[in-house]
Amino acid sequence: MTLPGFVIRNAFRNKRRALLSTLSVAASLFLLVVLQTFQREFTLPPEDVGASLRIAVRNKVSLGQPLPARQRPIIEKMPGIAAVTPFTFFGGRFKDMEFTPFAQFAVDPVTFTNVFVDAKLPLDQLDAWVKDRNTCIVGEDTVERYGLKLGEKIKLAGTFYPVDLDLRLVGIYSGTLDDRSVFFHHKHLDEMLGGSQTVGCWWVRAASSEEAPGVISTLNDTFANTSAEVRAETESAFQMGFVSMWGNVKLLIGSISSVVVFTLLLVAVSTMSMAIRERFRELAILKALGYRRRELFGFILAESFGLAMVGALVGAGGAYALFHSLDIEKLTGGMLLHFEVTPRILASAATVAAALGIIAAVPPSLAVARTSVVDGLKTLD
Amino acid sequence: MALPLKYNLQNVLVRWRSTLATILGIGLVVGVYVLMQAMAAGIEKSSANTGSEDNLLVTRKGSTSESSSIVSREQLRSLLYSPEIARNAAGEPLVSADVLILLNQPRREGGGEANVLMRGISPRGRELRPQVRLIEGRWFEGGKREVVVSRRLAARFANFELGGRFRSGPAEYTVVGHSDGGGSAFDSEIWMDADEARAIFDRDQYSSLLVRPVDAAAASNLVNRIETDKRLQLLARVESEYYAEQTSTAGPIKWLGNFLAIAMSVGAIFAAMNTMYASVGARTREIGTLRVLGFRRRSVVMSFLIEGAILASLGGVLGCMLSLFMNGYAVGTLSFSTFSETVFEFRVTPWLMAKGLLFSILVGLLGTLFPAIRASRLPVISALKSL
Repeated sequence: MTLPGFVIRNAFRNKRRALLSTLSVAASLFLLVVLQTFQREFTLPPEDVGASLRIAVRNKVSLGQPLPARQRPIIEKMPGIAAVTPFTFFGGRFKDMEFTPFAQFAVDPVTFTNVFVDAKLPLDQLDAWVKDRNTCIVGEDTVERYGLKLGEKIKLAGTFYPVDLDLRLVGIYSGTLDDRSVFFHHKHLDEMLGGSQTVGCWWVRAASSEEAPGVISTLNDTFANTSAEVRAETESAFQMGFVSMWGNVKLLIGSISSVVVFTLLLVAVSTMSMAIRERFRELAILKALGYRRRELFGFILAESFGLAMVGALVGAGGAYALFHSLDIEKLTGGMLLHFEVTPRILASAATVAAALGIIAAVPPSLAVARTSVVDGLKTLD
Repeated sequence: MALPLKYNLQNVLVRWRSTLATILGIGLVVGVYVLMQAMAAGIEKSSANTGSEDNLLVTRKGSTSESSSIVSREQLRSLLYSPEIARNAAGEPLVSADVLILLNQPRREGGGEANVLMRGISPRGRELRPQVRLIEGRWFEGGKREVVVSRRLAARFANFELGGRFRSGPAEYTVVGHSDGGGSAFDSEIWMDADEARAIFDRDQYSSLLVRPVDAAAASNLVNRIETDKRLQLLARVESEYYAEQTSTAGPIKWLGNFLAIAMSVGAIFAAMNTMYASVGARTREIGTLRVLGFRRRSVVMSFLIEGAILASLGGVLGCMLSLFMNGYAVGTLSFSTFSETVFEFRVTPWLMAKGLLFSILVGLLGTLFPAIRASRLPVISALKSL
């Protein structure tokens, strides 16, 4: 019998225990992967292709405070700017839903696709949208989810604004990271509100990535000390702003992850000790046969490490397979978008499992090393 | 005949090492479960704590929350001197026209920025909300760029200490007092004068009206009148009922808590099974002896189940005790209804602890069931012969 064969036979001599240990490791690692993916979803918003060039301009007070529409010609004249669109959150309710899982924004259809270059829609649809103020375009995901058709009327009851929209769907876009939103004419909203002179915020595309930092500071400086000071920042900085709003939730998920890892360790050590205690006598015989402590530690380590790694494979691999085959967006009603299990997360789960396998082997190995051959042989059960 | 309980207790104690690991494991699972639910309970409690049954909150019809509501000055005028509304000693109607503004402000210690809710209140606003007390400093004076910040927010945001100054919009404000909302949603607000706030932030309109009707009959009268007046397009609700509904933030936390509990308990059940199988294996001869003595299979199964339940409930008690350390600890996160920082406390209620305990016992029973059945099926003779 070869040495690896010996270790494998030993690991599976009590099949039930091997299975249970592996499964408990797997369950915990599955959870760890889910938690880390969850945390990543909150803390690292994924980026679009055009994100590095895109700049969000909001009121310095907060996103809740509007900006005056008169800022637009000033922004358009700034050097290094390729396109500007107003961007106003409408906050409408679709079909009397408690929570409408897609957002609606009032934009300028002419410049919109120049700012959000990732949004792709057929030219004739874009044309139809630009021409008619009572129309809108809708993201592919929302169109599929609610079975919408071109030409259909979309009714949105305003919760932020005291007006209701009745828009004709003329275009379906795709290609952005979140193909769910509804976009419609800002002029239509202005008309409905009786000639409103404000917008929610501006989105701007810089002509090149070299010019982007300059554009940001020009934007911030130009409106400093006016009645509507702005905060201009890159798309990723803008997204990160939301992350810090989550407050203690981030820390909470982190702490739960450590509790999970600790519990896991506890269980693994106890299982491994149980497995070794059962064959104390055998190990004493091996000792008597001349195997050194180092080699005995090797046997125990190999078994513990192997079981932990199989657990990791089942748990982390299971999480990976599960989240790749499930449509998380649909499942959570749009609360979680991507839920991508990255190689990095898988690697960290594997590291935890490896550390676990090694640490769990230590206490039983020490017990074996400390016991003399005679005592070991005397052990009953 | 049932086996004496003492047998199980002794057994739990005698194998203390593996027992301890199982207890700790289950304890941590229960602790996480109770804490997550305590967080959701904290949010719900803070909402339920807010507002008075004697006040009516008037918002725009169709708006889902106070912060997205708009009430014009004309609407205020048409309601202000309604006969249904109570007056104070000076004969002024008890109405507060509030304006809500989100301010993006830096957290303490470089934790980034977050939105905080600033409420501009009318002169009668404080009389209408007696649950908000001043605990330090003084109340603001209108027109002087003064604000009163809740004690809870002051602990979380830079520049909110007494005498602290911060900028937002075209003005700079001085914190002249700290308030305590008594565990209500007002613990997450900054207060200043409503008309001053409207002037600074260029708001033509108010967000909401808070009114105190003369009595219950007047209240329902006013609610009906506002409801049926098509020109107003407003909605009046009892203030405390409005706040009790603002718990959308608690939903996802509860969901996450349940998910964690289920996933972690699967791991814990496997671990408990392992411990109990080992325990059964080690006690093979003992079990054989019991059977020979005349204890029935049923009794052996029961006995093991009881042992598993004891083991797990010890873990449950431990978990509840661990979670009690966090009781009352204040945390903050983004509220889905106001889109601003909401501060609340972990509320470890007796009911939650009971649920946690029940949950641990369930884990124990599930983990013990198969080992117990195995124990009862051991052939008596070979069990006795085994070493």
